[in-house]
Amino acid sequence: MRLSQIAKALDLEPRCGDLEAEASGGYVSDLMSDVIAHAEAGDLWLTVQIHANIVAVAAMKELSGIVLTGGREPEAETLRKAEAKKITVLASKLPAFELAGRLYQLGLRGRERHAGGI
Amino acid sequence: MTISWVLEILDAELLTGQGAEGRELASACGSDLMSDVLCLRSAPNLLLTALTNPQCVRTAEMAEIAAICFVQGKKPPAETLELARRNGLPLLATGLSMFTACGRLFAAGLRCCGEGA
Amino acid sequence: MDSPRHVGKIRELVYELKVEAVMTRKLITLAPEAPMSGLRSILKSNRISGVPVVSGQTLVGLVSVEDFINWLAQGGRDCPVGERMSREVRTLSPGEPLVHAIGKLEQYGYGRLPVVDGERLVGLVTKGDIIEGLLQEMQVNSREEEELHRYRASHFFEDMIADRLTVNFQYQVRGKTIEQGGEVASDLKRSFKRLGLHPEVVRRAAIATYEAEMNVIIYAREGTVDVSVDPETIHIIVRDQGQGIPDIQQALQPGFSTAPDWVRELGFGAGMGLPNIRSCARSLDITSEPGQGTTLRISIPLEPERVCA
Repeated sequence: MRLSQIAKALDLEPRCGDLEAEASGGYVSDLMSDVIAHAEAGDLWLTVQIHANIVAVAAMKELSGIVLTGGREPEAETLRKAEAKKITVLASKLPAFELAGRLYQLGLRGRERHAGGI
Repeated sequence: MTISWVLEILDAELLTGQGAEGRELASACGSDLMSDVLCLRSAPNLLLTALTNPQCVRTAEMAEIAAICFVQGKKPPAETLELARRNGLPLLATGLSMFTACGRLFAAGLRCCGEGA
Repeated sequence: MDSPRHVGKIRELVYELKVEAVMTRKLITLAPEAPMSGLRSILKSNRISGVPVVSGQTLVGLVSVEDFINWLAQGGRDCPVGERMSREVRTLSPGEPLVHAIGKLEQYGYGRLPVVDGERLVGLVTKGDIIEGLLQEMQVNSREEEELHRYRASHFFEDMIADRLTVNFQYQVRGKTIEQGGEVASDLKRSFKRLGLHPEVVRRAAIATYEAEMNVIIYAREGTVDVSVDPETIHIIVRDQGQGIPDIQQALQPGFSTAPDWVRELGFGAGMGLPNIRSCARSLDITSEPGQGTTLRISIPLEPERVCA
C-alpha cells in the first residue's frame, strides 16, 4: 500500500520526505532494540519516540516510513537527519493503538514470525 | 470485552490473575514508554507492551490499569510476575506483534481510552 | 471476620461471575467412534464421572459412569460410545451467571455440565470449579475491601481536633535500580488510600511521585521524598544531590530529554516525566543548580476539581 494512499485515508500529516514508498507491513514499537531486532524492510513504523535515533534505525532497517503517534512532533535534529537520509516522517493525532487498528482495517498487516499473518 | 475474550483473540496465555478471566476491559493502549501511559487523562484498562520489566506493573499500579498483555512472545522476568501477583494484576502474553495485536483488538471493538464507543 | 458480610458477598458474586470465569478449559473428550471398552480406564485415570462426546468441535452427547454400567449390565459387547451416550445433554453458555449453573447442577443432580458456545464445546463446569472460582474472587475482593474499609473508616481530618493539622510522610530513595523504582510511590499511594483521600487525588499524587522517584534514580541515584498533607493540599518535595538541570524551561518541554539510550530502552527517559508531573499537580516548582542537585516542589489540592491540568 502506497504511503500517499495511507496518509490520505487516515489524515497523516507529512513532516518530511515523499509519499511514494510502498508500506508492505506495519510495526509498532517505542524500543529501538526491538525495532532493530524485529521490524522488516518496507514496514511502516508507528512510535511515540521523536529523537534523532529513530531516523538511524529506520534507515538501517530500510523501513518505508515513520509515523509519530499521539500528536507528537519530531525534534529539529530528527527532521534534519530524516531529510539527509531521505526517510519519510509523518505525524498523526491518533494514539498507536487506534492508528494500528485503522491501518489493519485498511489491509496492512504485521509480519508474524509464527502463524501466517492473520 | 472480557479478559477471556482477549485471550482468544490474541491467542494469548494468562500468566497471572487466574480467576480474573471474566473481568471487563473497555479500553486499551499500546506503548513501550511508561511515561506515555502515565500521562493519559484516563488510564486504559488494558496495556499492550513489549516492555517486561517490573516498571510496567508499577505503572499499572499508579495509573490503575486493569491488565497488561506482553506482545511479540516476550516473557516477563520473575520479579515482574511476583509484583503482579502481589498486586493482583492479570498479565497476559501473546506471540503476536504489537501491530497485529492492536489490529485484532481494534477490529473486535476495543477502543482507545478517553473515547466514546 | 464477620460472616454475614461474606455470605452477602457470595450472593453478589454468584450473580456477577460468569460461567466462563470458572470453567475448566482443558477438556478430556471422546469422539463418537471411540470404543465403549476404553471408557473405564479414561474415567478411572482422570477420576471423572462422565466425558463429553465431541464430533469436530460440536458437542453431540455425554457418556457417564451410569451409561458404562448399563452397557456392562447388558452384556458389555464392544461398540462405539456414540451408540450408548446420552444425547439429551443439558448445557450452559459461557456468559451465564454462576447462579444458573448452580441451579442446573442442583435441579438435574449432575456433577458436571458442559459449556457450549453455539454448538461448540468450550468448557466444563463442576461444583468444585464453582467453589474454587468463588473463593479466588473472594480473595481479590477482600484485598480491595480492606483498602475500601480503611478508606471509609478514616475521616481522619474531620476526626482530629487542632488549630493546624499536617500529616508528614518521609521516604528515602537509595540504592535502587530502574527496575526496582516505584516503591516510594507505591507506599505513598497505599498510605493515601488509608488516609481516605479522594481516589483521583491519590492517582495524581501517585503518578507525580512515581515520575519524580524515577528521575531521582535515573539522574541522581539517591534522594528524599518529603510529603505533607494538610486539610487543603498535598505538598510533595523531592530532593536530590545529582547532576542538576541546566535549563529548566527546556526540561519542561514535552519530549525533551537528556536520558541515555539504555534508559529509553527501559521505558523511561522520553522527556515526559516533568510535563507529566506538572499536569498532575496544581503547581510544580523546580530549583536546580548544575552539579548541586535538584528540588521539585509539587502541590496537589485535596479537592480533585481544583486541579487545573
